[in-house]
Amino acid sequence: MILSRVHTVFALLRHFSHRQRYFLWPLLIVLLLSSILLILTGGLSYVAPFVYALF
Amino acid sequence: MSAVLGISAQYHDSAAALVIDGELVCAMQEERFSRIKNDAALPIAAARACLRHAGITANDLDAVVFYENPFAKLERVLVSTLRSFPASFRKFPTVVREQLGHKIWVLDDIANALGVPRTKVSHDDHHACHAACAFYLSPFEEAAILTVDGVGEGVTTTISKGSGTEITRLRALPYPQSLGLLYGALTAYLGFEVNEGEYKVMGLAAYGKPTRREELAKILKTSSDGSFELAPEYFAYDTDADVGFSPAMETLLGPRRLPGRPWDLPGNADDEAHADIAASLQEATTDALVALAREAKRLTGLDALCIAGGVALNAVANRDILRKAGFSRVFVPPAAGDAGGAVGAAFRFSHAHGAKRGKALVTAALGADIDTERARDTADAMGLRSTRTETPAQTVVDHLERGDVVAVAHGRFELGPRALGQRSILALPEDPDVRDRLNRVIKRREPFRPFAPSVLAERASEYFEGAPNDMTAFMVTVADVKDGAKEKLRAVTHVDGTARVQTVTKENAPLLAEVLLELEKRGRIPVVLNTSLNGAGEPIVGSGEDALAFFDSHPVDSMLLGDDLFLTRDKS
Repeated sequence: MILSRVHTVFALLRHFSHRQRYFLWPLLIVLLLSSILLILTGGLSYVAPFVYALF
Repeated sequence: MSAVLGISAQYHDSAAALVIDGELVCAMQEERFSRIKNDAALPIAAARACLRHAGITANDLDAVVFYENPFAKLERVLVSTLRSFPASFRKFPTVVREQLGHKIWVLDDIANALGVPRTKVSHDDHHACHAACAFYLSPFEEAAILTVDGVGEGVTTTISKGSGTEITRLRALPYPQSLGLLYGALTAYLGFEVNEGEYKVMGLAAYGKPTRREELAKILKTSSDGSFELAPEYFAYDTDADVGFSPAMETLLGPRRLPGRPWDLPGNADDEAHADIAASLQEATTDALVALAREAKRLTGLDALCIAGGVALNAVANRDILRKAGFSRVFVPPAAGDAGGAVGAAFRFSHAHGAKRGKALVTAALGADIDTERARDTADAMGLRSTRTETPAQTVVDHLERGDVVAVAHGRFELGPRALGQRSILALPEDPDVRDRLNRVIKRREPFRPFAPSVLAERASEYFEGAPNDMTAFMVTVADVKDGAKEKLRAVTHVDGTARVQTVTKENAPLLAEVLLELEKRGRIPVVLNTSLNGAGEPIVGSGEDALAFFDSHPVDSMLLGDDLFLTRDKS
């Protein structure tokens, strides 16, 4: 399970590593950090308030 | 052996399709198993049913292909969210929840659910899969291909050229220029559910006049090369995903119609005004599609056209494309929408790895068969009595001749939104009272909605203009009912004199063909009213148990389930 998640994260990073997509990196980093929070806390209800606070 | 499973999911009409050595073996929508209409969940039950049908296991699969690129989709979502910031501010948490919650992990989820190694699971391109579904199922060796839908990863419309196993994209229109989103937004404006009510808008259009084209021209601006632009001020995809249109739309066209209000057509002025908007939308959409098809003709110079994407299910537009765009033949697959994306994904992987093209699609009956023994056990448990018939077609005709409405569940269920004789409700086509009974009591739907006729293919030209053609086998186009036939076909002729006709052969719907031949033998016209076997808000029946549940709760007169006949009067 974790291995396949890692596979997906690398595929995601590969997709966004094109020069034309660099401007999306800040948003992507926020999303990935949120994702880590999601995994650590085990639920999106914990993540949503952080996202609200950020924006 | 090379076995490839295609998967479409996450938005609507999720499906699984199995291609072995370049041939489509089966394809099924998840809704037939989950009993949730237009189910968007991962089609794991459908995938397992495909494997069971082919007699293989997940270990035998060479690849599992998801029909779109989740990372490119995420990119489009991020870009459009940024573009519409700060208006998209409120939607952002929802976007995060959907994307992080499950959408970007779809390939992992597929691998885990099916028990295949993650390395065997890959993704493809949404519109390329639509194009592949239409072209590889078509009878054409070479064809222009037009795909039109709401949105894929980043594009909404493509023109391609297909030749053998090669498909080359020639043009694409980017999001948010989208005929699918336009039709969806006005479907919501007219009070119907998006991704479900578009058929209702098409049926409603026949009751109106296209008097609002001037206003529609402000919303949809077309160019001579087939491209088009939507005026952004009328839409709200990135801020209000529920309806997709902005207050400016109501300022232009008048107040939206509230969902659920009963329709009163003809007669009610408000309803007639909304029917005029539907007619204007239908005409504007048809004109835009014809212009795109003409551009496809100009770019490819070919005589045949394949169309796919959700907008390709617009049967009225398909008729006009065949008439006006310069192609001598047009093909639309029975599951032109996202369900067909699973088929295209499997085909593309298969052909990219050397498989030859399979046979052209003959029948839409690509689903699971009835499990007769299990259905009989269930019927016994429900206290439903039946009699076994050796001559099912004759038995059905006996009941039709009595004026019965007969449900039929026989053979493998169909792929796509149309019941084509395997999961159908049948009646004789003469009496318009039958139509009203079906609409009001059995299907419980809007009174303006028409019913389709099924006709023997070799006799179709006697009753319908331009039939049969490459689309009529799958009920994806309409035809004008000939003047001399309208009296005999009152229950299946729409208010505008058209019918969404299905032409039947022994190959595409064996039992229905037998029914029509039997009617012919008894001196009747070989035409029946054919509507899908489902109640209001339900998916079409899949299994024998679903058919029994339908029979138990809906007032049809009789039902043929496999070779067993159930009569309403025998219900205990």
